[in-house]
Amino acid sequence: MKTGVNSGWSQGASTMLIALGLVCSAGAQTRRFERHFNVQGKPVITVQNATGRIQVRAWDKSEVMVAGQKASASVEVDTEQVGNRIEIATHVISENAGPDALRADYEISVPTESELQVRSDSGNVTVDSVHGDMSFDTVAADLSLQDVEGYMMIKSIGGSTVCTRCAGRLDATSISGNFQLLQPTMDNVRVQTSSGNILFDGGFMNRGIYVLKNYSGTIEVRFSSTDSFDVRATSLYGHVINQAPVVPDRHNMPAQTPRNGMAQSLFGSMNDGRAKVELSSFNGTIKISKRE
Amino acid sequence: MSSNQCAQFERMLEEQPDGPLPALATAHMNRCTDCRLLWSDLEAIRTAGMEWGSEEVAPPQHLWTSLRVQMESEGLIQSRPAGAGWWATWFGAAPRWALAGASISLLLIAGMLATFQANAPAGRDLRAALLPAHFSVAGATKELGATEKLVAADLSKTLDGDLERVFASLPERNPVLATSLRENLGIVDNLIAVCEESVREQPNDEMTRDYLYEAYEQKAVLLATAMDRSESEGQ
Repeated sequence: MKTGVNSGWSQGASTMLIALGLVCSAGAQTRRFERHFNVQGKPVITVQNATGRIQVRAWDKSEVMVAGQKASASVEVDTEQVGNRIEIATHVISENAGPDALRADYEISVPTESELQVRSDSGNVTVDSVHGDMSFDTVAADLSLQDVEGYMMIKSIGGSTVCTRCAGRLDATSISGNFQLLQPTMDNVRVQTSSGNILFDGGFMNRGIYVLKNYSGTIEVRFSSTDSFDVRATSLYGHVINQAPVVPDRHNMPAQTPRNGMAQSLFGSMNDGRAKVELSSFNGTIKISKRE
Repeated sequence: MSSNQCAQFERMLEEQPDGPLPALATAHMNRCTDCRLLWSDLEAIRTAGMEWGSEEVAPPQHLWTSLRVQMESEGLIQSRPAGAGWWATWFGAAPRWALAGASISLLLIAGMLATFQANAPAGRDLRAALLPAHFSVAGATKELGATEKLVAADLSKTLDGDLERVFASLPERNPVLATSLRENLGIVDNLIAVCEESVREQPNDEMTRDYLYEAYEQKAVLLATAMDRSESEGQ
């Protein structure tokens, strides 16, 4: 008898678990989304997602695929295609939802030659192998770019950026975000952060212009013996540490020299001085290091 | 000369202030001392006006950026479509009356920066005027007009108050956003304080002033971002 009661409880519990599982599965299905858009040439894709992960990667199809998952029914994903422009946006539809319920994660596949405009507040943004102009507007979201090419414009408040094997041109600002440019092939780089660190680890291209600036933190550029650049480095209240065998500036370019007696400065050329490197910090440390 | 002819001369000047004088008016002016003096005064005013216009300094880029924010917030212009410039995506603020004060602060900053640049005898020398009124920079304050001093005095207070209002309007459901903005505001405020201290010690160092100037710009960017997020996430 007792066994029979236990058996009945067990069967009931199993049934409830299965039903619960089906409900959960159905919920997961409704939260999962996937949409396809046929495009021609170079599409423009805009993404607005306040919270969550955004992954964009290039593929060889003339199609944009937007897949992903939203954390709850409190948010909806809107997509719209107008010609070659695809707009993707996450909207909050329930005011009472908690922070975790508002997350949406995206996996977006785009033609290699696509233009991107991404806006995110928190989460991560990664872009892989896209060749086209792109802009990023983030608050706390970190940004990772890999094998991208084009004109990149980045504005972050606190998010950090890692750019690996990036080519083209970069214009980036942040308040507390760090920037790492690894193996870049860029001829125009302008990076400014207030309290973040900046690392430039790559070759300076002929006629390239590299302007790196911060208030505090460390600016580090790494050079090889074949690099050719003019350098001007000034830290008003910090330090300039130089390992480059620079000689006095061969081009006699006028320099804005600090009147502050505590400032440390370095002006000079390495090899023919073909690229122009300007490093400036308020009270941070500037390192010009030989690449190992 | 008859007052009747003088009245006609003045009426003619009112109707055609910039036009050439008719032959009859010229003939009257040559005979009438009062009208000749009036004409020469008006010529002097016209010449001075043209000289002021020629001395006008081109406003900086960030002035246009801030004006764009204000005009977009009032619906006078729309954000550029996808594929347009980066600044358009930075500051895509939509109308919201609660943020009007903050918009005015942005304009205040832009106006101040433009004014200081326009009045600077040697480019950016008067950027030090960004400092609050209690902070005097030798050689700079004497070149400031009373209005500019007043604006400078109110800037920090007004801006901080608007920032608080905008931050208070950020959606509670995104604490990471609010926390990040507040933390970065603290960083920028600290930078401003450090730069102010440095300018106090090195009032003639242009590079130090540039850092201070840019720190204020960053505060304006932070305010614009907070406004943008407050609006877009509040929908």
